[in-house]
Amino acid sequence: MATELKRKKVGWYFITPVGILLGIFLLYPIFYSLYLTLTSTRGTLTQFTGLANYRKLFSDPSFFKALKNTFRILFLQVPLMLVLALIFAAMLNSKKLKFRGFFRTAIFLPSVTSLIAYTILFKMLFAYDGLVNSTLIKIHLLDAPIAWMQAPGTATFVLILAMIWRWTGYNMIFYLSAMQNISGDLYEAASIDGASSSQGFFKITLPLLKPMILFTTVMSTIGTLQLFDEPMNFSAGGTTASMVGPDNCFLTLSVYIYNLCFKYTPKFGYAATVSYAILIIVAILTIIQFRVSEDSDVRLERKMAKAIKRGN
Amino acid sequence: MKKLLIIMVAAILTVAPIFANGAKEAAPVADDNGPKTITVWCWDPAFNIPVMEEAGRRYTEAHPEVTFNIVEMAKADVEQKIQTILASGTKDGLPDICLVEDYNVQKYVTYYPGSFVDLSDDFNFDDFSDYKTSIGSVDGGQYSFPFDSGVAGLFYRTDMLKEAGITAADLENITWDEFCDLGEKYTAKTGKFFLAGDPSDGGFFRMMLQSSGKWYFDEDGNVDVKNNEALAKAIEIYKRMYNESFRKPTSGWTEWVSAINTGDVPTITTGIWIMGSIRQAEDQSGLWDVAPVPRLDVPGSVNASNLGGSSWCVLENGQQKNEAIEFLQETFASDADFYQTILVNQGAVGSYKAAITGSAYSANNEFFSNKPIFETMGQWSTQIPMVNVGLFTYDADAAVMANVQDYYDGKATLEETLDKIDSQLRNAML
Repeated sequence: MATELKRKKVGWYFITPVGILLGIFLLYPIFYSLYLTLTSTRGTLTQFTGLANYRKLFSDPSFFKALKNTFRILFLQVPLMLVLALIFAAMLNSKKLKFRGFFRTAIFLPSVTSLIAYTILFKMLFAYDGLVNSTLIKIHLLDAPIAWMQAPGTATFVLILAMIWRWTGYNMIFYLSAMQNISGDLYEAASIDGASSSQGFFKITLPLLKPMILFTTVMSTIGTLQLFDEPMNFSAGGTTASMVGPDNCFLTLSVYIYNLCFKYTPKFGYAATVSYAILIIVAILTIIQFRVSEDSDVRLERKMAKAIKRGN
Repeated sequence: MKKLLIIMVAAILTVAPIFANGAKEAAPVADDNGPKTITVWCWDPAFNIPVMEEAGRRYTEAHPEVTFNIVEMAKADVEQKIQTILASGTKDGLPDICLVEDYNVQKYVTYYPGSFVDLSDDFNFDDFSDYKTSIGSVDGGQYSFPFDSGVAGLFYRTDMLKEAGITAADLENITWDEFCDLGEKYTAKTGKFFLAGDPSDGGFFRMMLQSSGKWYFDEDGNVDVKNNEALAKAIEIYKRMYNESFRKPTSGWTEWVSAINTGDVPTITTGIWIMGSIRQAEDQSGLWDVAPVPRLDVPGSVNASNLGGSSWCVLENGQQKNEAIEFLQETFASDADFYQTILVNQGAVGSYKAAITGSAYSANNEFFSNKPIFETMGQWSTQIPMVNVGLFTYDADAAVMANVQDYYDGKATLEETLDKIDSQLRNAML
């Protein structure tokens, strides 16, 4: 018993250094920014204001605009990207495909490019006299160039397209690795029982990929809610720009936080309040996603139990 | 026990480097005669950086012990970095001199008190344009040293306008409405765009407001939106430019500049700092000219305005504060010849009054129809109305731009739009 206790103690000593570091760089900032939300901190001038920042949050049209934009991107981009990633992964996992290594590398390659580089590239492609417009005109799909980056709808479209290009390969790798862990016996057994390959995909691959799908959904949701680099770079370059993209369509929550701190009059207290709003939203969405997947787990179990019973 | 000791030591060694920085603060102040380095932060490699390098070169010639470390960063990065350091309260890593955009000076000085040096006793600020010095005066102190003028002009291609029968006289002392009429006429006759512009750029608003001696705020810093005739008129003009076909839609600086360099549009109305970019197209030499900026059709508006421009601020906690002030005194505050050099090399128009009479200013400029355009614009700069940019210019800008779209699309009246701007701005200032 004594050695057991001693061993436990030693364990604690081992995690002390990391514990101290986490305390300084993780816990302290978390609680300090919570305190900041209760103050009006402008530059180095600070004043305790209680819940004033939260009241301001609910009457701030820019915050709601940012929230709307972020969710628009989230609901359009994430499902599209994950479905595409799944399709690519299934195709690349097929043993019949030639040059698999080449295609895998090609689809994954965008995710190693720098965030800045690829946004600038897309911005150039979709410029008023950019490659996309001139190509579309040359093949007579368009009569006059489209000002892609000037209208909120088309600008958001370009942003989503760019993000899909950049991140699909990244998510595909997760699916691919999970698919390779599925034993071939299952498909063989299914085909002996007369299942088609699409049945194999929907009845074997998808259910077994579920933990991975949940993981990528949660990660992509968090990533999109914190979306910063892409909209910032798409809208940068205006000398005296007062909007983040046409009609503020690139104003995401993170960009808004940046502007509150560094572009407008420095309001660190209020910026912390907006980041806490993101935290709460992320937490709620993640809980929902876990619940949904848990429910379907339970349903699956029930189904299997029924099937077994019937079999008997 | 020995093991415990080893672990503790390891823990301390891991964490120690983090705190080691704290010890540096006690570093000795550089002694007066030893070598010194003045650190400067600025952002434009085609403009303020070479200007600072020229000033530094001149100062090092007279004081060989002083060298310069001019750090180039993007403008947004300068703003982020300086605010982060000041907010953290650390004294390390600050520059001695930092270039600050004019619209930001007052808010930095107000919200980071004690961080910037009050320069009122070190310089005679009567030597500089009034509208430039008023930028940096807070509570009786003077915290910014004027650098470049943002005097605005209507730059145009004489050859292209001639095709539509528009002459120099047509552009003299006009209103923005008349400017838009000319745009329609030009586009109807030639089928080309008259100007390039990004509808999300609020620069025109500030230029129009200042020409009327108005801003988003009154002299005391109170919100002035609802009954601001100049702002209402400016929004109407923006709507016209937004909806009609004489504007080439561009997005961002590069596309905007390339529209003039490639000859897509014949005019660009903005601050004088655009001249360096205009001159990049060497084949257009002699074809450009400049007219006074259009005025707003409201009482008190004049054909002179300002857009942008920046000032030098000296940091209280920089390593070489006193040397930095002496440096500014010997170069930017007294060396008229220096201003001639940077004018010729960078097209930088200072706001030092004595320099406007220099030979480089009165020289004819080959690129601009062989006219003395610096002297002309220098004279316009003395007529620019003074405004109080206050602490919330960018908040106001954002509130305006966020609400005008509905008005452009006909979904809101002008009055409703002004009401919305007003309430959003007041909420942002809470």
